[in-house]
Amino acid sequence: MSNAEPGHRLAVLLPYRLAPTRISVRISPLSAAILCFCAILAASTAWAESGPTMLSPLQVILKWSPLLLRGFAFNILISLLAMLLGTVAGLGLGLALLSEFRPLAAISWLITQFFRNAPWLVLLFFVMFLVPFQVIMFKTTIPLPDWIKATVGFALPVMANVAEVVRGAVRSIPSTQWEAAESLSFTRRQTMWLIMLPQCIKRMLPPWMNVYALVAMSTVLASIVGVSEMLTLTAQVHAAEGGRPELFAPLYGFALLCFFLYCYPINLWTARLERRFRVR
Amino acid sequence: MRNLVRSIVTGAAALLMFGSAQAADGVDAIKQRGTLNVGVKADYKPFGYRDPAGTIVGIEPDLAADIAKRLGVKLELVPVAASNRIEFLQQGKIDLLIATMSDRPERRRVVQAIEPLYYSDYVNILLNKKAGIKDWADLKGKPVCATSGAWYNKDIAKSYGPEIVAFDGSEKPLFAMKQGNCIGYVYDQTFLQGKLIEDEWKADYDLPLKGVLPSPWMIAVALENTSLQKLLEDTTKDWMKTGFIVDAEKKWGITPTEYSVSMHEQYKDK
Repeated sequence: MSNAEPGHRLAVLLPYRLAPTRISVRISPLSAAILCFCAILAASTAWAESGPTMLSPLQVILKWSPLLLRGFAFNILISLLAMLLGTVAGLGLGLALLSEFRPLAAISWLITQFFRNAPWLVLLFFVMFLVPFQVIMFKTTIPLPDWIKATVGFALPVMANVAEVVRGAVRSIPSTQWEAAESLSFTRRQTMWLIMLPQCIKRMLPPWMNVYALVAMSTVLASIVGVSEMLTLTAQVHAAEGGRPELFAPLYGFALLCFFLYCYPINLWTARLERRFRVR
Repeated sequence: MRNLVRSIVTGAAALLMFGSAQAADGVDAIKQRGTLNVGVKADYKPFGYRDPAGTIVGIEPDLAADIAKRLGVKLELVPVAASNRIEFLQQGKIDLLIATMSDRPERRRVVQAIEPLYYSDYVNILLNKKAGIKDWADLKGKPVCATSGAWYNKDIAKSYGPEIVAFDGSEKPLFAMKQGNCIGYVYDQTFLQGKLIEDEWKADYDLPLKGVLPSPWMIAVALENTSLQKLLEDTTKDWMKTGFIVDAEKKWGITPTEYSVSMHEQYKDK
C-alpha cells in the first residue's frame, strides 16, 4: 500500500451520509413530452389510413392550436392572478391564525377551515352567481367579466391553503427563536416580520408551489361556469370540426399535454427545493 | 392583523355589492353604451361556432350582426350554454338571446319571446342515400337509431311504426348507423343539417324526408324591455320579408327549412 493518499488513512470517522432516496421512475419533462406527442401521432396515423378526404387529427390540432393555446394562456393568467390574490390574503389570514388575540385567531381559524374544506367547484359557483357582472361605483361602471369572477373564486381556497402553509412554517421554527428575540427586546411584530417570516420563506416555498400547481390544474373547472378557457374552447373546436368522435381523444389529449408540460416542471422543481430545504 | 381586516372588508364588500348591478334595458341604453350584447351558441354548427381565429360565426351571429347594424352600434357576441343563457339575460349581461332556444311555456314565463318566431327546428331522419326511403311511411318495421330520452321517439314510433334503437348522446347512434345497425338516425333536423356540411357525411347520407313535429325557436329579451322587443319584432318581420334568414341558411350551407321558406312567402308581399 502506498502512503501517497493520506486522505484514506485518516483515523477520524467520516460523517455518515444517507444515500439520497430517489423515486425510482422519473421521467424528464422532455421525454414525457416526446412520449405524449408520439401517442397523439400514433393515434392520428392509425386514423389516417381510413379516411383520405378529411383532416387528420394532427392537422386539426395544428389548425386550431393558436386558438387553443390562447385559451391555455388564459388558464395560466387566471391561475397566476388567483395565486397572487390568494397569497396576499392568505398571508394575512395566516398571521391572524397566529395572533395572540384569541377572538381573531378563532375567526380566522373558522375562515381557514371553511375555505379549505369546501369543494373548489362549489366556491366557484358561489362567486359566479353571487357577484354581479358589473358594479356601479361613484357613477362609473366597472365590468366584472366571468374570468375575473372565476379568479376570485379560485383565490378563496388558495387563501385558506396559503394561510395553513404560513401557520405551519412559522410553527416549525424552534420556539427558542421567539425566546431569543424576546430577550433582545424585539416586539412580537418585529419578531414576526424581521426574524420569523424571512426564515419561513424557504420552508413555505415548496408547499406554496404545490398549491400553485393544483390551482393551475383546477382552472379548467371554470369551463363549467362558461369562461372561455382552454377546455371550453376544446369542446367548441370539437363541435366546429363536426363533432367527429375520433377527434375527441387527440383534442382533449392536447389539452392534457399542455397542462402536463406546464405543471410537471413545477412539481419537479418543488421536489428539488423540498430536498434542498429539508428541515433536519 | 391590518391585512386580515382589509381582506375581510374587501371580500365582504365584493359579496354584498350584488344588489348594485343594473340590468341594461331599452334601446336607448344600448345606443348610449354603443355595444349590443348578444348571447349566441359557440358549439352548434352552423348556427353558432368558432372559426380558427376564435371568432364566433354562423347563422345566428349573422342575425345578431344585422340587429347591431340596424341599431348603429358595435356587436359583442357572448358565448352561452343552455344552462346559463336565461340567467345571463335576466342579469342584463346580454341584451338578447339568439341561441337555438326552443319555445316552451315555462321559458315564456321568465323571458319575453319575440313574435313572429324567427326559426323552427323539426324532427328528421338522416338516411343513407341507398336506403331508398321516399316517405315516413316507408320506415314501418325498419330499425331506426335514435337518442334515448328524446321527447319525440315515442311519437315517431307510434305514427310511422319504425323499430326505434336508442343510444345515449348523438355520437353513438351515428356510429351505430354507420355500422349498419339501423337504416337512419332520427334526431333534431338542425343538428342533422349540421352533419351534412361535413365531408364525412355529405357523400353518402341525406335528409330526403320532410321534417315533422316542428319545434319553433325564439329570440328572447328580458321581460318588460318593450322598446327592444318592438324593434326586434319589426326586425324579424323585415327578415321574413326580405328572405334574410333563408339567405343566411344558404350562405352557411344548409337547405332552407320549411318554416323559414313559408314565413318568407307569407311576408314577402306585405
